Amino acid sequence: MDPSHTITATLTLPGWLNSGQDHWQTRWEQLHGAQRVQQDNWEQPLRGDWLSALEEHMLFAADHAARNTTNGAPTRFAIAAHSLGCHLLAAWAAHSKHAHWVVAALLVAPPDLSQTDTTPAVARWHPPEVAALPFKAVVWGSDNDTYASWDSTQAIAAQWGASTVCMAQGGHINADTGLGDWPQGWQSLQALMA
Amino acid sequence: MAKIFCVANQKGGVGKTTTTVNLAAGLSKIGQRVLMIDLDPQGNATMGSGVDKRALAYTVYDVLWGNATLEEAKVHSDASGYDVLGANRELAGAEVELVSVDNRENRLKDAIAVVANNYDFVLIDCPPSLNMLTLNGLCAAHGVIVPMQCEYFALEGLSDLVNTIKQVHGNLNKDLELIGLLRVMFDPRITLQQQVSDQIKSHFGEKVFNAVIPRNVRLAEAPSYGLPGVVFDPAAKGSLAFIEFAHEMVQRMGSKR
Repeated sequence: MDPSHTITATLTLPGWLNSGQDHWQTRWEQLHGAQRVQQDNWEQPLRGDWLSALEEHMLFAADHAARNTTNGAPTRFAIAAHSLGCHLLAAWAAHSKHAHWVVAALLVAPPDLSQTDTTPAVARWHPPEVAALPFKAVVWGSDNDTYASWDSTQAIAAQWGASTVCMAQGGHINADTGLGDWPQGWQSLQALMA
Repeated sequence: MAKIFCVANQKGGVGKTTTTVNLAAGLSKIGQRVLMIDLDPQGNATMGSGVDKRALAYTVYDVLWGNATLEEAKVHSDASGYDVLGANRELAGAEVELVSVDNRENRLKDAIAVVANNYDFVLIDCPPSLNMLTLNGLCAAHGVIVPMQCEYFALEGLSDLVNTIKQVHGNLNKDLELIGLLRVMFDPRITLQQQVSDQIKSHFGEKVFNAVIPRNVRLAEAPSYGLPGVVFDPAAKGSLAFIEFAHEMVQRMGSKR
């Protein structure tokens, strides 16, 4: 398929407790028109519930795009996931028959679910889905993320078949990191689609 | 060995969940060992059995997905008198995840087989659509109980369900049959309901249960108390009708207890 004939929509997948106003995901929605996949319950991330929400969002977005284009161009998705949203995407990609709709994914700060102090709300996502992703992906991590060591981030990125970037002293690469609009991250995602 | 039944109707709001929980409670009251499985992500049958769907350690999702055995995941509802394999919103994910697994339509059947000797009846509350969850219910069951209101459009959709049962019977589960139609929310004062009831009788004959569940306020109120009507108000007309239905089911199925 000629990629120039497709429409690419960017979806943001926040993690547990959602992403606030100063988070780079929220800013990308305002700056670049990215769409957030809303979850019914951000406090209690039920894996199946979140998977279902992602699937439904994609089906709705693809249907909406098809109705609003004159040439019937198919929609493709670029995904910008943060924290637990990374594991959501991996789990969804391993099972959904629509995984081929995704062309690229930026996976930022996936938590290490095997950590013994993982919050109970997230613990049931262990073990994580580790099947190779069927699309291009890059994993960003940091050397001082409370939720994952850089070694564990590299390990899961390798299983997903993704390249890696380490942000020095980036923490959990969220609003607290003070990234503003985080143009480097946006460029990283765009580079995957080039 | 348990008799396993789906309570199904491809129309929503026909009293499917009310039928499931009250039949479960009615069977339990007359001494049958019952497991109720909620296959609807709305979890109404779970809540209506006195089990908080938000507080479950495991749900039917975990059983379908192999995270837990049915024995581990079921809970006993002291208030309602039967075991419950509950559901909540998480179950919606099974629609996505089961697509990619082997033997996907038989996951529930395999899970029930392990505990089937512990029960006389297993009742499965199916979602009001034909999806992978409903298919798992139909593949696990010996038969389908169809609650229906005696209204103008009642027969609409029924032919779809009957065709589905035939297809599953032909391709996936030789045991599956339409056990019967249960007339629910029935008001004999309404002429149209009598006419539709007669029409159902003439069309389906012996497949129509003798028991008829009347429209009853106490049955409608019971879910807000987290109880089946049969437990909430045993003397209500609707509750008595479900007890009669439970007896009819035992008689038809020849349970030995």
